[in-house]
Amino acid sequence: MTLDDYRLPEEPYYRAIGDEVALFEAAWSERLPIMLKGPTGCGKTRFVEHMAWKLGQPLVTVSCHEDMTASDLVGRYLLDAEGTKWHDGPLTLAVRHGAICYLDEIVEARQDTTVVIHSLTDDRRILPLEKKNEIVRAHADFQLVISYNPGYQSVLKDLKESTKQRFAALDFGYPERDIECGIIAHEADISEGEAAQLVSIAERSRNLKGHGLSEGASTRMLIHAGQLLRRGVSLKAACNATIVLPLTDDPDLRDALSAAIASCLR
Amino acid sequence: MAGRPPSNLLRLVEPETGRLPPGSPLDAVGEHASKAFPGPLLARWLRQARMLERVGLAGGILVSYQRYSPTIAEALTPDVAFNFVETVKDVAFTAGRQAAIQLCAAGAFAANRLNDADAFSDWSRLITDTAEQAPESVQAILERMEMLLRRLDLPGFENWIATGIRVGGAEAERRLQFFTFADPLAERALLRETGDALFADRERRLRCFATALWGQETVVREHALQANGLSPRRASFDGNFVRVPPSYPGVRGGAAEALYRASLAHVAAHMRFGSGRFDPGTLKPMQIALVSLVEDARVEWLAMEILPGLKNLWQPYHLAQAGTGLTAELMLPRLARALMDPSFEDDDAWVAKGRALFFDRRADLNDPATSRRIGNLLGNDLGQMRVQFNSRTYVVEPAYRDDNLGLWAYESADEEARESLEEVVESLRLERSDTQSSKNQSQAPDESEAQPQKVNPETLPDEAGVPIARLPEWDYAASRLRPQFVTIWDWPHKPGAGDWVSLVLQRRRDLLGRIDALVRAAKVSRPLRLKRQREGDQLDLDACIEADISRRQGREPEQGLYTKTERRHRDLSVLLLLDSSQSTADRVQGSTLSVLQVEKEATALLAHAMDALGDPFALHSFSSNGREEVRYMRLKDFDQPYDEAAQAALAGLESGLSTRLGAAMRHAGGLLAQEDSHRRLLMLVTDGEPSDIDVTDSRYLIEDARKAVQALAMQGIDCFCVGLESGADSALARIFGRANSLTIDRLEHLPARLPHLYFRLTK
Repeated sequence: MTLDDYRLPEEPYYRAIGDEVALFEAAWSERLPIMLKGPTGCGKTRFVEHMAWKLGQPLVTVSCHEDMTASDLVGRYLLDAEGTKWHDGPLTLAVRHGAICYLDEIVEARQDTTVVIHSLTDDRRILPLEKKNEIVRAHADFQLVISYNPGYQSVLKDLKESTKQRFAALDFGYPERDIECGIIAHEADISEGEAAQLVSIAERSRNLKGHGLSEGASTRMLIHAGQLLRRGVSLKAACNATIVLPLTDDPDLRDALSAAIASCLR
Repeated sequence: MAGRPPSNLLRLVEPETGRLPPGSPLDAVGEHASKAFPGPLLARWLRQARMLERVGLAGGILVSYQRYSPTIAEALTPDVAFNFVETVKDVAFTAGRQAAIQLCAAGAFAANRLNDADAFSDWSRLITDTAEQAPESVQAILERMEMLLRRLDLPGFENWIATGIRVGGAEAERRLQFFTFADPLAERALLRETGDALFADRERRLRCFATALWGQETVVREHALQANGLSPRRASFDGNFVRVPPSYPGVRGGAAEALYRASLAHVAAHMRFGSGRFDPGTLKPMQIALVSLVEDARVEWLAMEILPGLKNLWQPYHLAQAGTGLTAELMLPRLARALMDPSFEDDDAWVAKGRALFFDRRADLNDPATSRRIGNLLGNDLGQMRVQFNSRTYVVEPAYRDDNLGLWAYESADEEARESLEEVVESLRLERSDTQSSKNQSQAPDESEAQPQKVNPETLPDEAGVPIARLPEWDYAASRLRPQFVTIWDWPHKPGAGDWVSLVLQRRRDLLGRIDALVRAAKVSRPLRLKRQREGDQLDLDACIEADISRRQGREPEQGLYTKTERRHRDLSVLLLLDSSQSTADRVQGSTLSVLQVEKEATALLAHAMDALGDPFALHSFSSNGREEVRYMRLKDFDQPYDEAAQAALAGLESGLSTRLGAAMRHAGGLLAQEDSHRRLLMLVTDGEPSDIDVTDSRYLIEDARKAVQALAMQGIDCFCVGLESGADSALARIFGRANSLTIDRLEHLPARLPHLYFRLTK
């Protein structure tokens, strides 16, 4: 079985901020597990897609949620007309056939779920399937990547120390002004000038982080605003719809944010 | 006025007919009266005046009535002036002669100002009521009537009086402080009634706005009142604080918010793009004003380069017109506008020169020295043009700009700034340690010198709380929330015996066994196996066999073939709030224990259960001594272990003072809201309905607490109240709702009931 469905057909756009591409490539050569840290919407997922394309590997993505059990990752027996039949979960699929497996927002999953990756992330590189009584040895091309957003989840939801220490980490933040302008202009297909205004707006909202907002406007939000802009929505309305309203329900903060956004507009 | 004799009218008028013989030599007052009360009315007026004499109110009151009642008659009708005698009489008897004398003058002003007979009669009634409720303060109010009615309409005036009476409560001294404006709350309340937009109502959003602009932490405070009883009219800043006027008089609603925003954005630009302070050196006042003006324009330009939208915020306030006279008050705003608005046309040579100096070398704008250079040049020019400048009356224009004191290194300003910072940040702490150390020193000077750092917590004076919050209170009579009305003090608690809790547990072994059983049953992180599920991790063997049998029999098999294990999450924070008011010191009937002791025992058992369950919980207690002192004792916090220290704190709890329930619940709710749990429960144990020394209306605190519970419910905090035998169930049901309050008729049952109740509530 080849994981052709999981291959990316064309190059996903990604603009490097620093040396993350080189670091990832080096880690890939050693098949080191990688952890991507950073606020939501700063490009973590896009980066993994880009690297999978660049390295010519299929990419199996799992978005973790709090009801996720180990079986959802590893696989389970299902019943069909002939009797029981084992179905590989997404993680087993990647381990068996060789792919980059990307566990998005890993902390959302319960801690007892995340321990199944332990044997895959040290030099053993095996995945025991207890219920099937099988040990899957990882394919040479298997690599595990997880993403993780520190500070956004509560203290209760943190990775175990034993899990954390298995990964090499890349820290992502919002890109620098000029780079972010370029990204937004490219993704939303708007002019650099419009993108610069959006970035200026985002900076205002990021100033409020810790003063009522748990997170400022992400690059993704700005791209959404840009997309509305391209469809003829006014900048003010677009920012209200994609930035102010999603960010907070607090009327005082909405007011402050709207006023700060107005100060960026001509 | 009192020294003046009554008008000679009384003597001149014929007593039988009430007519004035023609050609009588009238004095001024008599003249006025005979005009205001023409014909037979004059006789009636005289009868009213004599009536005052008859009831013993001759002298100053009569003089004053005679002098001012014609004005009332002219402004409204003669009847109103006649009826006014009753008000004068009432006030004289309840509040004294001086107040009644003052009343006549105030009445004349009110009649003209209100210009409506009904409104005037409302006003009279309000004064009579006030004289009854706050006799000591009526005179003070009447003396200020002109100012009050100029600033407030009648309903506003009535609300302001009601606020004052509420604030003062039963204490005449405090009421008088309010009505003489010695209490700063009076001005604040008055501003609120004027309808001017108050900074206090918008503080948070404005502060957030200022922070959002440049990401600087901005501390914004209101200006304190000056010696003349007014607030400064412009914002101000120093290294530590931004200060703004509590309101901009006459500016309301959205306009006020825009003005505050413009003002904060301007100050923020100073803080972002200014650098250090200018040395005033030998500069003349006019030069200082001009350097400040150019610096204002400079930082605004730099800010607008990055945030062009700020222009929309500032420009509307630049309203100066070209072609005015050549005074500094008129020329400076023109220059300010010229520097802000390139399309502003002003062909004055001086303004044009300022513009040229400012805009010709844009690159120089990054350097603050530019402001000084240009300001000096322009100042010299104005001086040579012999334009006068009065630094005393000079107010910076437009209104959003700050007073510029923060730009200059005046030594006194530095001093003040440092003092005020210390005052705010350190005063409480300093005060506390001062009293501690002075106490220690006076007791044993040698010892305290030997060990200056060591302060034994047990020797802390009783009165050592720290004010931590000002909370609003709901006034049901006025249907409004009185902001910042109650002060919460974080009050230290005295530790009791550390082993008290374990003794209680031992004594209550019977209950303990049952509680432990409940704990085991409620331990919810136990995995639960669910069978015959449509989805699951594993096949359910029994279901699979049955399904296969069904299939072979040709019947449709059941769909649920899987099992899954679920862990029930227990995600709950509980704040247990104990009422420790004086009434809890009463003995329980048929027992040697006090109510508080029973409360404590019940709490000890409940805490034992909560600790065993691993639910995060806090034990807090409160009592109150008037609205300025609600004592809040944190025996155990959420993040603190339930160890010996916490147990000793519970053991040491003592009865005292009153029950200001709403305030304590608001504060407890605020603490609970910070918890990250799915469910948050505020459990109150009290022995009766709320009460406090400064509240006479028993419904007031009940309605306030009810409002507090409603507000907490909106935040997703559940409140539950356990009332102890007191006959207060109806009040508690009113506050919490019948379903959320439980009255325990026999107090000795509380220790057994409380943990059970807890399990029921937290299921």
